[in-house]
Amino acid sequence: MKKRIGFKTLGCRLNQFETDALASKFVGLGYEVVENSKDTDVFIVNTCTVTNQSDQKSRYVVNNALNHGHTGMLVITGCMANNHKEQLEKRYPNAYVVDNQQKSTIPQLVEAHYNKEILPSNQNVGGVFDYAPAAETFHTRSMIKIQDGCDNYCTFCIIPKVRGRAVSRPVEDILENIRQVVGFGYKEVVITGVNISRYNYNGIGFSALLKQIVDIKLDFRVRISSIEPDSFDEEFFELLKHPKITPHLHLCLQSASESVLLQMRRMYTYKLYKRIVERLREIDPRFNITTDIIVGFPGETEADFQKSLDAVEELSFGHVHTFKYSKREDTRAARMSNVVPEQDKTLRSEELRQAANDSKINYRQQFIGEQLHVLVDTVKDGYSKGYGEYYVPVKINQSLERNRLYTVKITGIEAQGEEHNLIGVVQN
Amino acid sequence: MGKGVPAANKIKTDLHEILDIRHLTDSTFVLRIEKKDLEFEAGQHVCVGPPNGIHTREYSIYSAEQDEYIEILVKEVENGLVSPSLKKLQKGGYVVVEEPVGYFTINKDLPQTQKYVFIASGTGVSPFHSFVLSGKAENYTLLHGVKYASEAYESEAYDKDKYVLCTSQEDKGTFNGRVTDYLKANHFGADAHYYLCGNCNMIHDVYDILEEQGVSTDNIHAEVYF
Repeated sequence: MKKRIGFKTLGCRLNQFETDALASKFVGLGYEVVENSKDTDVFIVNTCTVTNQSDQKSRYVVNNALNHGHTGMLVITGCMANNHKEQLEKRYPNAYVVDNQQKSTIPQLVEAHYNKEILPSNQNVGGVFDYAPAAETFHTRSMIKIQDGCDNYCTFCIIPKVRGRAVSRPVEDILENIRQVVGFGYKEVVITGVNISRYNYNGIGFSALLKQIVDIKLDFRVRISSIEPDSFDEEFFELLKHPKITPHLHLCLQSASESVLLQMRRMYTYKLYKRIVERLREIDPRFNITTDIIVGFPGETEADFQKSLDAVEELSFGHVHTFKYSKREDTRAARMSNVVPEQDKTLRSEELRQAANDSKINYRQQFIGEQLHVLVDTVKDGYSKGYGEYYVPVKINQSLERNRLYTVKITGIEAQGEEHNLIGVVQN
Repeated sequence: MGKGVPAANKIKTDLHEILDIRHLTDSTFVLRIEKKDLEFEAGQHVCVGPPNGIHTREYSIYSAEQDEYIEILVKEVENGLVSPSLKKLQKGGYVVVEEPVGYFTINKDLPQTQKYVFIASGTGVSPFHSFVLSGKAENYTLLHGVKYASEAYESEAYDKDKYVLCTSQEDKGTFNGRVTDYLKANHFGADAHYYLCGNCNMIHDVYDILEEQGVSTDNIHAEVYF
């Protein structure tokens, strides 16, 4: 009987890429892979530690599995495992706590566990790029990891401490990874890393890499995931016009106040950010720009916050991830004074979320009457859902084929809780 | 998977012997430590801390790329966790050093004749000291903002006609006033590359002044000191 292995992934796309790669590996090893802990022999929690809330969510997932009777092997990995390894080992003595550098060796660890060759997880030598291309994953888009770590040292961010120094994956490995996953049938690849714009392998930077990716003579589209606005070059703007590259960037802003950006040690100004947005919208007036904004950073005044609020309207974001500033020990911001009271952070967060929601609806409404190329990722209960090239969710009221691209005419917009899906009908 | 790919990218930390300490003022000193195998690019910084503590702080490298040692310029911060401990260390002692990192560097693609304006406040002069000693920039002007002329920190390293000491609390520098006052009165042009290193307020103000003078943000590079 097949062993059943469950995954829960928190946080960023890099974690999703790594989970997908592990899940695919386990499928190849003959395991049944699911997305929860129910009735599993092994449960793997790929944690996040970017905020206090992420830590809480990660702990909740582990506790929830244990409270619901998970008695099998438990593996806790991801950034929280790097940041709080000792604490986790103490709290969950029967769990394997595996840091990011060893994450790729989890399949060997699980096999060793069941072969009664129980290995302490820290004896496996893995690698941050040592993941085989994933054939079977939880997504219809294939994540392609090109880079790990970050050297920017933003004052609020714990990631350099838990992901380590920036390292870039060899170009040929990336190109081969893409050829393989497109061969597996993926229609879209998502370029992923901690700080992808700083990609540099033997002098080949991000734009030069991207050029080689789009030059692969296969049929697929490329999505660039989260990117920092601090090192764009002309070649990058030119490449964004390429038909394989989808018109969407998750361009991290964090704040629209110049003084807060300096205190955050971000390596750009709001003026530069705005200019980048203008250039993107010159390439395509509907270019989707989504972003992260932190509210309540130490020293953020009402006037500073107002600038972030104004930016949401001014830049017509397609989506904004709003974060309340969360103090992370061992960062520069943790030692800053002028802490913003929690209740002010909550109020600002609510206000920004409302503005972001309005902006999202406005952004999406412009697609009504237009055609989008939708990659279907969900088919159930007589409807299908997927994402168009602008990374906006589209719902179609008929059962379609998963992982296939459809030309869809957008006919309306439908509110579903906080989400606003476009509604469309298939044209082909 | 290609050969030579790092198995992990953990931050490397090592103990480095203190080779010398030069006290420049009552509160500011240069710590010279052994280089070991640390290679760096002028403008990068290292995290340094006392050997028996868990805290480190970022310091821009003060010495030249080609030197056989590494130097950092440290100002003692009252009630600080790291700098007072570093000040108490002696030659022959050790400090913890993380490998160099950072992007506040000179763009190698720019011509040798490129005009640079370096603007520093206080110990923010450190990366510019490294730029100049490493031969990274020939056509430069360094504006150094301090309170008193005694804080000129080994200014003999720079060509006299390229170094402008702006003293805000006494009239003993090249210019009596803040670097921002000097910059308002003296334009260096939109084609120069401006490197700013120092406190947030100075950097913020300089950005505004340069914008008014028509300098593109592409030509402005900043490193904030806290």
